[in-house]
Amino acid sequence: MAPGGYFGRALVVDVGTASATSILPLHEEVLRGYLGGAGLGAWLMHRLAPPGVDPLGERAPLAFVFSPLVGTPLTTSAKFAVVAKSPLTGMLNDALSSSHFAISGKLTGHDAIVVRGACDRPSVLLVDGDGARLEDAADLWGLPAAQAEARLRDRLGRGWRAAAIGPAGERQVRYATISHDGRHAGRGGLGAVLGAKRLKAVAVRAATKVAPADPGAVLAAARDLRARSFGPATAKYRELGTLANLLAFNAISALPTRNFQAATFAGAPRLAAEELAELRTVARNSCASCTIGCEHIYSGGGKTMRVEYENVFALGPMCGVSDPDAVLAASALCDELGLDTISAGGTIAWAMECAERGLIGAPWLRFGDASALMRALTEIAAREGLGALLAEGSRRAAEQVGGGSSEFAPHVKGLELPGYEPRTMHAMALGLAVNSRGADHNRSGAYEADLSGDLDRFAGGDAQVAAAIETEDRAAVMDSLILCKFLRGVFREPFAEWAPLLSAVTGWDTDGAELRATARRIVLAKRAFNIREGWQSGDDWLPGRLLSEPVETGSGRVAALTPERLRAMIDGYYAARGLDSAGRPAPADLAGLGLR
Amino acid sequence: MGTPKAALEWHGSTLLRRTTGILARVTGGPVLVVRAPGQELPALPRQVDVVEDPAEGLGPVQGIAAGLAALTGRAEVAFVSSTDMPFLHPAFVRRVLRAAADGADVGLPLARGYPQPLAAAYRVTLAPAAARLVKEQRLRPAFLFEECRLTRLDEAALRADPVLAALDPDLDSVVNVNSPDDYAAARARPAPEITVQRFGTLADGHRGPQPVRAATVAGAAAAAGVALDGHVVAALNGDQITRDGETPLAAGDTVFFLSADAGG
Repeated sequence: MAPGGYFGRALVVDVGTASATSILPLHEEVLRGYLGGAGLGAWLMHRLAPPGVDPLGERAPLAFVFSPLVGTPLTTSAKFAVVAKSPLTGMLNDALSSSHFAISGKLTGHDAIVVRGACDRPSVLLVDGDGARLEDAADLWGLPAAQAEARLRDRLGRGWRAAAIGPAGERQVRYATISHDGRHAGRGGLGAVLGAKRLKAVAVRAATKVAPADPGAVLAAARDLRARSFGPATAKYRELGTLANLLAFNAISALPTRNFQAATFAGAPRLAAEELAELRTVARNSCASCTIGCEHIYSGGGKTMRVEYENVFALGPMCGVSDPDAVLAASALCDELGLDTISAGGTIAWAMECAERGLIGAPWLRFGDASALMRALTEIAAREGLGALLAEGSRRAAEQVGGGSSEFAPHVKGLELPGYEPRTMHAMALGLAVNSRGADHNRSGAYEADLSGDLDRFAGGDAQVAAAIETEDRAAVMDSLILCKFLRGVFREPFAEWAPLLSAVTGWDTDGAELRATARRIVLAKRAFNIREGWQSGDDWLPGRLLSEPVETGSGRVAALTPERLRAMIDGYYAARGLDSAGRPAPADLAGLGLR
Repeated sequence: MGTPKAALEWHGSTLLRRTTGILARVTGGPVLVVRAPGQELPALPRQVDVVEDPAEGLGPVQGIAAGLAALTGRAEVAFVSSTDMPFLHPAFVRRVLRAAADGADVGLPLARGYPQPLAAAYRVTLAPAAARLVKEQRLRPAFLFEECRLTRLDEAALRADPVLAALDPDLDSVVNVNSPDDYAAARARPAPEITVQRFGTLADGHRGPQPVRAATVAGAAAAAGVALDGHVVAALNGDQITRDGETPLAAGDTVFFLSADAGG
């Protein structure tokens, strides 16, 4: 009997031989140790991914992983994780998304759906109470994900939910996304993994129910959390969305501009939420089962689109583009093509700098040129012209181009940097350097410490190490329960407050200390997977530019992050995590992870 | 005065808190308070270090000696300030420190008619010489100046700094309060002119810079109609971020108010 909130099994489908499905039992110690979402996904990859597997090869597994809270009335819980070895980083990658796909997928009767093998033709995988089967998807191939979803809805009926890839995923662009209902499992190129399997979409239909251990307690907790979700801690997301960061980050010199050549952008006011919200907001929306309502849907260029800070940062200041119509159009184009906006913007910004330095023969590609940005995005998704190079991401492209361009390729472990300037945010610099997914603001929220006023954001030290570990641990649990990080501000004692939510659903006597231990286990399991796949201690580092070129702040101050300071913080992180001086877990700790 | 100067109220803060805050902003290095033996001090940020004079009543060179000794190995040059200069401006401190950076052992302002040894820059290596002078009962700063490379900064030299000339044209930085009347007169002056700007949901229809008068971040928040609570932080001139309402402000400052939940 599975604990409340779980089915205790994962469905494993080999799409190369359509009938080859199997059930992988998920025993209670695994579920309690790794929860769900990103944590359970890490365990599944240890178990199912052959060591050294090519992420785009047939043997590579890709998992849609659900979580114990999915299907409960707890706000923001309708989330799922897509987990695989990343074709962009070669490391473990989990990308989260929020939609009804999470609920329907779980209610197929599985805590995870794992796909491996590769189809011999474009296909869609259907999973429901009758099991798994493949259908032809030739008519969907080449369509944007949203159109493919719409056609599948028409073909299959209302009960089905489909997560699909766009043209970029089909062509295995290494930062292609998987989308459902306009939401994207965006980072790390998992759309390319699905594309390599010639799977246009995975469609799920609910077939069963799952009961929490204590429905009354869950309902009471849901009411409480719902009320708290309307408070001041979520006001920013509700009223302006994440784009509210843009002008504030510009004011504090934390807005990466022109491939990290500056930390402020003169065109920022034109792109600010405060400006766009008045002129262009057409609607506000919520993810499934969410009471925050962070989605701000804007109009631009005759289209409507969801706009987040990261889209606008990556396609605006990072590429030197200040025309809001152009940035919104580029964002919409990324959605249509199925491209991660952060990696796309970062890779194009790197290419713009290469072009301006004469390192690549693309005189049309210049910072600030919106038409060049659109052309680059189109070529990337088609893998045509310069796009064939840029589809590989900035790390691989820089290795090909040479000429010192790796120094300013904006990535960690191959994953392009999000919109946080490490030289003016030293806690975030550490978080970006050591995180297992690569340069990522959702797996390490250390920027919270930089923005807290509790420490000196220009002088990384022990306090920044503690902050980076704390936020990484919180992310590990939130991404596994799963709860949206936009709720994080409503929890004063997060681990202690999350424990009763999990207990009400599962019936376990979980407490805050157990969840802290779970967080550490998940973080170590991710690191252990990366080590297995060839991680080296030099991978925990930042691009050369950020450590050799100071950046001027708006007040005229010169902000720098020296290699010595970063090294000291990383050493502190390793020590506090119980890792050896090279960043590797102790054998006893590895043995305690329960991994195979 | 009848009241310890360090604890005198200043726009909801204290004179000592203000002085240490101004110096912390400019130097970026350690800030040290030298107190008389057993002297009670008002609340200070945890980053401020406190040392005691070994003896009381020996004058400024004793305090300078104790302070410089405590900074040995932690800084090359110190700005030495008395605690009773409520209008000390960061631009003034910056200008005076630059004299020592140019090679002098002491940068000594001559402002408002007097030399200002307690608003001056001292090389930390002067600590032994200062201590020796105290032992020799040569307790006036002039004796120390005789033994070192001294750069005098007259008013013309000070005002040649365009930022200082713009923000503290009357060199009020060196105005001190030695009597209840001095204090009352100083306290009656309006708070410095600064600019506030609110971002995101805090803007609430008030976008762009807004001039106000405030001597502290809390004062700026009040003037801008922002509650400096757990969900709001302030960025002083776009640099350091703080929740400390007593953070002192000076003319020309800009305070950005941001959501503490920024990011994500």
